[in-house]
Amino acid sequence: MLRKLLKHEFRATGRIMLPVTGILLATSVAANLSLRYLLDSRAWFFSMLGILLLTAFGFAIFGVFIVSFVLMIQRFYKNLLQDEGYVMLTLPVSIHQHIWSKLIVSSVWFIITGLAVILACCITAFDITIIKEILQGLGELFQELRKVQAYYAINGTAILMELIALAFLSLVAMCLQFYAALAAGHSLPSHKMAWSVAWYFGLQFAFQIIAFSGINILDQIGFFNWGIFYPEIHLDAMAGIHIGLFLLIFVTVVYGAVFYGITTFFLKKRLNLE
Amino acid sequence: MSVLQCNGLSKRYGKAPALEQVSLAIEPGRIVGLLGPNGSGKTTLIKLANGLLTPSEGEILICGAAPGRATHSLVSYLPERTCIPTWMSARQLLDFYGDFYPDFRRDAAEEMLQHLDISPAQRVKQMSKGTREKVQLIMVMSRQAKLYLLDEPIGGVDPATRDYILSTIISNYNPEAAVVISTHLISDVEKVLDEVIFINRGQVMLQSSVDEIREEKGMSVDALFREVFKC
Amino acid sequence: MLWQFSGDAPIYSQLIEQIKVGIVSGVFPPGERLPSVRDLATEAGVNPNTMQRALTELERDGLVYSQRTAGRFVTEDKAMIETAKRALAERHITAFLDAMTRLGYQREEVINMLRQEITEGGNGDVSLAV
Repeated sequence: MLRKLLKHEFRATGRIMLPVTGILLATSVAANLSLRYLLDSRAWFFSMLGILLLTAFGFAIFGVFIVSFVLMIQRFYKNLLQDEGYVMLTLPVSIHQHIWSKLIVSSVWFIITGLAVILACCITAFDITIIKEILQGLGELFQELRKVQAYYAINGTAILMELIALAFLSLVAMCLQFYAALAAGHSLPSHKMAWSVAWYFGLQFAFQIIAFSGINILDQIGFFNWGIFYPEIHLDAMAGIHIGLFLLIFVTVVYGAVFYGITTFFLKKRLNLE
Repeated sequence: MSVLQCNGLSKRYGKAPALEQVSLAIEPGRIVGLLGPNGSGKTTLIKLANGLLTPSEGEILICGAAPGRATHSLVSYLPERTCIPTWMSARQLLDFYGDFYPDFRRDAAEEMLQHLDISPAQRVKQMSKGTREKVQLIMVMSRQAKLYLLDEPIGGVDPATRDYILSTIISNYNPEAAVVISTHLISDVEKVLDEVIFINRGQVMLQSSVDEIREEKGMSVDALFREVFKC
Repeated sequence: MLWQFSGDAPIYSQLIEQIKVGIVSGVFPPGERLPSVRDLATEAGVNPNTMQRALTELERDGLVYSQRTAGRFVTEDKAMIETAKRALAERHITAFLDAMTRLGYQREEVINMLRQEITEGGNGDVSLAV
């Protein structure tokens, strides 16, 4: 059943995301053309057009992020907590499958959006001297970094992967925070949206307090200074970074799981469709 | 086994009681009217049967099981208002119901849509209010469910649509399934019903067959209702 | 066929009455197959169980008989249909006379009025409102 939920969720979101992504790629082609030809044109009309097309490209990048973000919230809220919820929540499907389908589809669109923006930037930069030079410079910089890596025995790829994983998990956890806030806010009889916003900031606040006191406690028990207390354990800087990243990933997963728990609780036990 | 059974079922919103100690049973093959004034607890009962609410006390059983994922495939539910996704076309809606409900008779649904001159490409958004209600009813009645829960199916529609809805309910009659119709427009549905359940302020006041009421009291259910619920 | 229901009597007995009228008036001719319960119920806009009950009752009276697989048929016994017709007519007459009595008419007056109405009206447009 999850597969069928995913199918219909992609249908529902694709009809918005595909055109938006298409517009982004179209404007990037236009931006490339205007950078290459229009801006240098002597006719004011063409240079004006070039500026407009470049601006459109800027807006398109901005727009595609906004749309994928708004869609993530709107699909959950409109499809499960408003009128459509009557149809969706009486399907022979579990609440877990509902949440996962929304989460997976949103994540996939975030990834596609990210890739589309990268692709659009590449298209815009295609065959343009200045950008080529910048890229060349960046390439050289990376070459240099490679040497540095080799010197300090840094595993750049591993760190990169960890950072990507962290970024992705943070995104998922962010979705879940929105879901939890919406589900909780909509369990109340009135001012559902206002309560959802309040819940969002409440969760944010609670999380910060817990994180802050957690760090404080770790500090008190000497977690950050253990090298001093246990000089026999030799920990180099690299291992420290890895441990730090893993810790962050772990914390992200934990708070994502808490939000997931809150969302399921409210959808199962405290559902209150109008 | 009863298709729908309530034992000492209560539901409170905060402190306000919506249902109090409701016990009733609905057998297969019956078309039952759940009748009561607005705010009497009809919708609450139907939502409980759909698992959209959880009981405060007592239990509600569908074919012997508490509402959940398994009972959702036995129950076909028409909510109080139209809530089919408006961006879908009629064809996408057929896909949707066909995907999730193995008991969905797509050919029956297509035939009924055709009968109403609704093209499969038409989007729900472009349909009139009455057409949307009909389309949603077609989706609900095209399932071969054990229990149909129709919440106010004839409220707020024109008389022609009302007749269409009632005749759709009759022509899809299945002796193994029960149909529950909640409404306050009794004179319109009376002839279609086997049994009626009067509900007021969250309590069941009467459960009886329509012809029993007419035979014993010498008046229609509508007249009896007006007498019982006189303001 | 026109199906109409009043508020006071049980629906199944009103159905029996109306199907009888259908048989007597030839809407359902003798020996002809009746539509299925579901179709009849849909046409009349009534509950299928109630329609079933009415037909079972008619079967018991003998106006309708069922063949296991082929469905239900109107009796071919014309005399029985004639009896049913007579019974329906008598009911209407009794009801009419009751109504006239309540209005204070004597039998003789009623007969005279009827005769007058039929000869004058010519079209025989006598409404036997019950």
